[in-house]
Amino acid sequence: MFDSVEKVETLLGEEKYICDRKIATVVFLAEKLEKPVLVEGPAGVGKTELAKVVAAATGRSLVRLQCYEGLDEAKALYEWEYSKQLLYTQILKERFVQVMAGAKTLSEAAERIGKEDSVFFSEHFIVPRPLLHAITSEEPSLLLVDEVDKSDPEFEAFLLEVLSDFQVTVPEIGTVRAVRKPLVFLTSNNAREMSDALKRRCLHLFIDYPNEALERRILEMKVPGVNEHLMRDLVGMMQRLRELDLKKIPSISETLDWARALLALNATDLDEDVVNQTLNVILKYEGDVRRVQGDLSRLLARKTGEAKAPAAAPTVVPTRTVAKKGALH
Amino acid sequence: MQKKILEFTNILRKSGIRVSTAETLDAFAALDELSIDDRDVFRDALRATMVKRGEEVSTFDQLFELFWSGFYDHLRDAFGTAAEGLEAFGIELEDLLRQIAEQLQNMQGELGDLSELAQAMLTADLDQLEQLIRAAASQSGVDRIENFLQVGFFSRRMLEQMNYEGAGQELRDLAARLEAAGMSPEEVAALRALIDRLMEAARKSVRNFTERSLQQHNHDYMEKFRRETLLEKSFYHLTEEEIRKMREVVERLAQRIKNILSIRRRRLKRGKLDLHQTLRRNMSHGGIPFELAFKQRKKDRPKLVILCDVSSSVANVSRFMLQFVYQLQEAFTRIRSFVFVSELGEVTQLFQEGDINDSIEQALDGGGVINVYTRSNFGAAFHHFWQNFLSAIDNKTTVLVLGDARNNYNDPRAWCLRDIHEKAKNVVWLNPESPSAWGFGDSVMDRYRPYCDVSEECRNLRQLSAMIDRLVL
Repeated sequence: MFDSVEKVETLLGEEKYICDRKIATVVFLAEKLEKPVLVEGPAGVGKTELAKVVAAATGRSLVRLQCYEGLDEAKALYEWEYSKQLLYTQILKERFVQVMAGAKTLSEAAERIGKEDSVFFSEHFIVPRPLLHAITSEEPSLLLVDEVDKSDPEFEAFLLEVLSDFQVTVPEIGTVRAVRKPLVFLTSNNAREMSDALKRRCLHLFIDYPNEALERRILEMKVPGVNEHLMRDLVGMMQRLRELDLKKIPSISETLDWARALLALNATDLDEDVVNQTLNVILKYEGDVRRVQGDLSRLLARKTGEAKAPAAAPTVVPTRTVAKKGALH
Repeated sequence: MQKKILEFTNILRKSGIRVSTAETLDAFAALDELSIDDRDVFRDALRATMVKRGEEVSTFDQLFELFWSGFYDHLRDAFGTAAEGLEAFGIELEDLLRQIAEQLQNMQGELGDLSELAQAMLTADLDQLEQLIRAAASQSGVDRIENFLQVGFFSRRMLEQMNYEGAGQELRDLAARLEAAGMSPEEVAALRALIDRLMEAARKSVRNFTERSLQQHNHDYMEKFRRETLLEKSFYHLTEEEIRKMREVVERLAQRIKNILSIRRRRLKRGKLDLHQTLRRNMSHGGIPFELAFKQRKKDRPKLVILCDVSSSVANVSRFMLQFVYQLQEAFTRIRSFVFVSELGEVTQLFQEGDINDSIEQALDGGGVINVYTRSNFGAAFHHFWQNFLSAIDNKTTVLVLGDARNNYNDPRAWCLRDIHEKAKNVVWLNPESPSAWGFGDSVMDRYRPYCDVSEECRNLRQLSAMIDRLVL
């Protein structure tokens, strides 16, 4: 599917996901080594999006398992469909009588019923939940275990079996092996440190806030129609905001929201009024908003100061040829 | 290559990044799939397979730079500047080398007669130089380097191993022979200057290599050392910087306790069968109880009343105590905090509004309710509490007192504490002084002690964290 790291980059790019080499490398390796990927990073940098896009780019069906506190095997793996079993028992009552007919003792009757046991505990009466679904899927699939840090430690331990061997054990039926190994993405906001055992089985990808150039490229692709001038101011301001000590640092998703908001307001320039009106799009805490408002003139002053300065020289691309020579001895 | 990766793995481990064998194997598998010509891809592959914690990424990146490149760049810089020195004589390095080769040919010799090192230096063959230096390093056991004082020693050993002086002599002899053979005086002067510079560059490079290996092996060592000592360090002697660092440590400890807490809670939570719920839940199954529901045990979270001495002598203990408690807020039903020196005032309100750390700093400054620039008077403070806030205490409340009980020879009014003790579930006293000092001088700890269920020394983070652990579990 992917034959090189560059191919990953272009394929994801076609799905409107701009990624750097680091992300592409890990995605490439995940596919080649058939290993799950643990994606960590602050909220809103596109962790979940990455999984969705990879699914789309590789033509895999996306199976999503949203984790939360109290999530258990029944909701993640499979559940017996009690009502259906009950219904069938009612309907098949006649047959039971036939089966039991001629049984002399109670224990003999029970034994005969016992022989038919497997009828009721078969795949027929199982409701597959995301995990089982991903494993038994005939088509290639991508399993997204979202916000795995929100789940309980017990559930994490249970995930290990699935992740290491791509198989699950249903006591009544036996072990179910993956027909085609799904590609697995786990995302985590680091609300809780994941266990070493889990980490060991995964490739690790840390996605951080994008740098200015990358953020601009993302903005260009996701929100077309922002003029060059506004885009530079907007991205620059976001980059500076991230340096402040805020309770919730605005992320790339906030940048996109903000750009859309500014477009909706027909703003062509980033002045104090516009920023004040729209600040609640990027900042989610009252304290943060107040803090930035206090600093606003300074943040904007720096902006105008930069705007007056001649356009920055193109960023120097480090010459790779030299570094390469010394890289591997 | 494999050997080099294993060596790198070892260095990562020494720096506190846990890399398991399985992960190393993953790294090899990953490198099989990729072309390793691209340095970035190579680094990303190693990082994805070996580093699993967000906070370790920067350590990895630094070590990667140190280990996989860096040195070559350094060599290039060092020898680059050495050759640049020639410009002052108006002679190009290549021209000079050609001259030398010609002269040598006339003398029926060639560059190949020189030792490897001398040759590599003269022709600025950096690859060869790096190999020579690395070989000398492994011969002289540089990987055993442990501290900065050994840099000089190992550098000298490496130079000896490479026969550095010998190479220098060879080069100088060469210059002399060339002079005798009729090379122009300017050129000879240029050559001599070049040789001096090259020797200097080589010496510096070796030293740089030793320093690098020290950094590689000891990276993070200092950091770890500092963290460990912070745990043990007495609260009495802390610098601003250490207070900041300590905050992080407290945060981590609190997080750990929280994790353990959640597991323990869950185990305890499941109680008896809840008949009512079970029937309700199974109505869809015709009343046949397929799914059972259990009553949840009520969480027994303690109420906490904290009395913090914020006089300068114990301010630091109070600081971390408060940080701990408020980071674990959800482990308690309700926390009321009071600060005192000789007056006592409630600062609970502060913590409900702002950021923890700001609130703490404000509280330590009296929180706008008390004057902190007086002398400690535990008796007066307890009396004040007894008069105004005794109703805050019930049989589910744990009272936590933080102070050194240095009462400046005032009346201890221990009966106040006795009354508090009678009403409360527990009275815990944390004293930053060691028990042997209790009751001596103006310490009235011995008078208060009978009314404390627990009274302990709490002088450093380790003791504090152990105490908190007992409090919440």
